Amino acid sequence: MIARFSPRQRQLLNGLLIASSVVLCLLLSPTRLPGMELLGVGPNWFLIWVVTWSLKHKVLSSVIAGLTLGLLQDSMSSSYPSHVVVLVIVGFITARLQRHIKEDLITIVLLVFILSLIAEATIALQYALMELRPIDEIWLDYQRIALSSAVLTSLWTPAFYYPLHSWWEKLQQ
Amino acid sequence: MFTVRRKWTQHGLQIVLVSLVLLIAWLIRQTQGGAIRELYALLSRPFQSESALLKEQQLTDRRVWELEQRLKDVEQQNKQLKILVKYFEAQKKPVVTAPVIGRSADEWWQQIILGRGSQDGIAVGAAVTGIGGLVGRVVDTTPNTSRVLLVSNPSSRVGASVSRSRSMGRIQGQGSQVAMMQFFEKVPDVKPGDVITTSSVSRLFPSGIPIGRVQKVMLEKNPAPEAKIEFTAAIDKLEWVIVHPIENPQ
Repeated sequence: MIARFSPRQRQLLNGLLIASSVVLCLLLSPTRLPGMELLGVGPNWFLIWVVTWSLKHKVLSSVIAGLTLGLLQDSMSSSYPSHVVVLVIVGFITARLQRHIKEDLITIVLLVFILSLIAEATIALQYALMELRPIDEIWLDYQRIALSSAVLTSLWTPAFYYPLHSWWEKLQQ
Repeated sequence: MFTVRRKWTQHGLQIVLVSLVLLIAWLIRQTQGGAIRELYALLSRPFQSESALLKEQQLTDRRVWELEQRLKDVEQQNKQLKILVKYFEAQKKPVVTAPVIGRSADEWWQQIILGRGSQDGIAVGAAVTGIGGLVGRVVDTTPNTSRVLLVSNPSSRVGASVSRSRSMGRIQGQGSQVAMMQFFEKVPDVKPGDVITTSSVSRLFPSGIPIGRVQKVMLEKNPAPEAKIEFTAAIDKLEWVIVHPIENPQ
């Protein structure tokens, strides 16, 4: 079906799809639908998006995607501790690992699980470095948030990964 | 020069597009995601249930409790005010009820998004209460939404006093239903079960709004005695809140 479109149209369609998936990501982040919540924590949609993107793109464009989504996540929560650093790191790591990863779902889910632990650690580290909160409090919060966020984020990964991944596969053919 | 020009003809469009995307993202961040929240409010409107979802029994219990505590606080205040004859009542402004339509995009930051904004008379700085007591403070508004920083957020601090003895202190959120109160006095008159309300010297909040109950007192803490406070408003289950307009805008 995609073959019918000219390269120009394909590019346009691709851009449209990317933009709308980012908007969807933005709109999902403040909602807590049933099944999307564990101990009051929701999945980290931005992280899912950046990982999905970085599995198919080069390091530079992954870092740029991390930067953009980081700015957007900042706008939906707080600007300090910033999410820009977090998502840039996530994008970078994923893009570097790209070659060594078999692209099956279990591996991706596991990767997202580990990356969200790293992401929450980066935020916790920022809190600690800026001395906004006592260390023991941060540690308690980290345990609570990191585990539920990692479980939920990895379980919801297919929601973005499947459609975007198969679209980009088709586009490459 | 030639290589720069060649690079430009090869990647010019890409560079322009990428910088455009980054510019948009930065703009959204600088405007605190106002446009996105407006869109979100618009899209989530059909899914909002009108109070049908309220867990009635629990909420009425909390409401009754809140009113009882308010009454106690008012009685206590009244006693003091009778002593101080110079007394005038500030004119009460009407309150705005607002549905909670969203939460934070990140668990480290405790905020809620309300489905009413500046069009309904909500301004930055207004105090927000839920059923049971204080919930937070409006930090940002758009025409149809407003963003509330919860009292449970680690960066929010509320001047508070013990309703029974008037011992004053400051409550700092800890990211959960429990917060820490630091007293200004060395030996505050406080015991577990005491009710904590917003302080009358607080400039940010109207005085006498119930905040929570004392769970545990730690008098030996340095540099000041502390107490664990449990919020009486169910902060993680909010569905509707009341916004109190500011009485003395700066």
